[in-house]
Amino acid sequence: MAIFNLKKREIECKIVYYGPGRCGKTTNLEYIFKTYKKQITGEMVSVDTEGDRTLFFDFLPMGLGKIKGCDVRVQLYTVPGQVQYTSTRKLVLKGVDGVVFVSDSLEVRREKNMISLKDLQQNLKEYGSSIFKIPLVMQHNKRDLIKQGFPIMSIEQMEKDLNRQLKVPSFPASALNGEGVGETLKECLKLTLKSFKKEMNL
Amino acid sequence: MSNYVLSGNLKFLSLGDVLQFLGSNASTGVLHITSKYVQDPGLIYFDNGNPINAQVGPLLGLDAVNSLFGWADGEFEFSEEDVTAEVVIKKSRMEIILDGLSMLDDGQIEKVGPLSFEEKSSDVSGITSTLPVIRGPLVDYMYVVDEEEAYAGTNIVKEGKHGSWFWVILEGVAEIYRETPKGPLEILRIGEGAFIGSVASLLLLEGNVRSTTIIAVDNVQLGVIDFRRLSVDFLRMSNELRNITISLDRRLRQITDMVVNLYLKKVRTDDYIEGKEQLIHQGESEENLFAIQEGEVNIVRHTENGYVPLANLYAGDFFGHVPFLDIGQEPYSASVFASEDLETSKLDAGILQKEFDQLSATFRHLIEFLATTVSATTLVASDIQKKVDEQNI
Repeated sequence: MAIFNLKKREIECKIVYYGPGRCGKTTNLEYIFKTYKKQITGEMVSVDTEGDRTLFFDFLPMGLGKIKGCDVRVQLYTVPGQVQYTSTRKLVLKGVDGVVFVSDSLEVRREKNMISLKDLQQNLKEYGSSIFKIPLVMQHNKRDLIKQGFPIMSIEQMEKDLNRQLKVPSFPASALNGEGVGETLKECLKLTLKSFKKEMNL
Repeated sequence: MSNYVLSGNLKFLSLGDVLQFLGSNASTGVLHITSKYVQDPGLIYFDNGNPINAQVGPLLGLDAVNSLFGWADGEFEFSEEDVTAEVVIKKSRMEIILDGLSMLDDGQIEKVGPLSFEEKSSDVSGITSTLPVIRGPLVDYMYVVDEEEAYAGTNIVKEGKHGSWFWVILEGVAEIYRETPKGPLEILRIGEGAFIGSVASLLLLEGNVRSTTIIAVDNVQLGVIDFRRLSVDFLRMSNELRNITISLDRRLRQITDMVVNLYLKKVRTDDYIEGKEQLIHQGESEENLFAIQEGEVNIVRHTENGYVPLANLYAGDFFGHVPFLDIGQEPYSASVFASEDLETSKLDAGILQKEFDQLSATFRHLIEFLATTVSATTLVASDIQKKVDEQNI
């Protein structure tokens, strides 16, 4: 549920990047921060959490238009997957408006992907949301690794593993060089705004 | 007082949420946070939604803000005002929040809050009880600083664990258990108005090890008693009344030990009274109250199944007739046996009675409840001895 900031005439919405450790959530956000710098008002906050970093920044995406005369400000977060970071996870996932699930194409990470997705389902449930209802986009990351000879899973297999029931939009990506990063975010924003408008009967 | 524009409890809205809210509202002013678990209040100064300085006791700036993330329970109030505090904190709002929370989860920030009752008790379920429930008088809310809930089946206190907190039961029923080699033994059931906690812990020198396990039978609403007020009352008492209170608490522990020993058939009554002189005969009228100076006294109850030893008293303890308390033992319901070297002094029951009547209602109720539990446990001891005897036949 987004926050309406009447003082600034803005709608704040929250999009969270979720996924197993070192799948490329942070790389996604770093790429967005670099590429859309002009639209980003604040600093990028980076917090070292064990095994992964937690990132945050907010920006005003261009071309999204206004809702009821209010600009839409987007807060982007990554969330630490490690069990012990419950307080951080709670703050990040509370009132989340849209989720990007980043999966790791490396064959050896297959199980980690599935565990993380299940984890996401559990966490969303805990904070009063549902994986089936929330605007969700999937990104199969690290497609470029095949060029370096690493064994990676086929898109078909990953879809079967992760997206069989959810049937949400999904994108192949190589976050390191930016491929698929913009598309993923755009789709997630589109779904999130659509769900807002539906909620507000616009 | 009146310039508070936002207030609430951290249990409902965490510090992270409050900081985000004040941030997106671009508020300028001071956030005051108090917690009964911490002596000093916390202050965070905001300029245009951003924390610029803070203080908690000796901690200043960012360290102070970080420590506040550990306060799981506390009241906050935001007052809108011009802030002149020096800008010490340069970190962005979200960085403070995310950093603080990850430090909390990493265990780098001390957690401050109520004890949790999460721990489930193990093997006592399935024991159905027929014991009556002991209740106390109406609760004086002046002495209740907080309310807590213990869910059905959870431990309120655990035998052998340390703890000095006092609670009064506001709603619900709890069972008192002792661990024994033959499994947990139920001793008493307590309900509304019953106190949980030992007077001995008010004597800061004495151990504060819980002597029994108390388990919530249904969801129990507990009132946390103001320990400091109780201590002040206790310190203001005359030495005589204080000694009687402590001795009564000791007697409760002894009689509870005795219940366990009787249950385990580890008691030989004869050893208790051998070589001792009977000082007070059960049922005899004895108007006097004595303090033991030297020697030893045994309190023994005579039942149709024989003698039930109740307590072993030494220097500092009292025995005899306490006009304002019914402890269900001597002189009417138990006999007193004395060692040869016994020396006593007589206490003035009238003066004690006057002092007792002037105590705070809560402390009076506490002592009365102590006496009632001594009396009830005495009956439990007699009962257990009877059962053990019957099994032997």
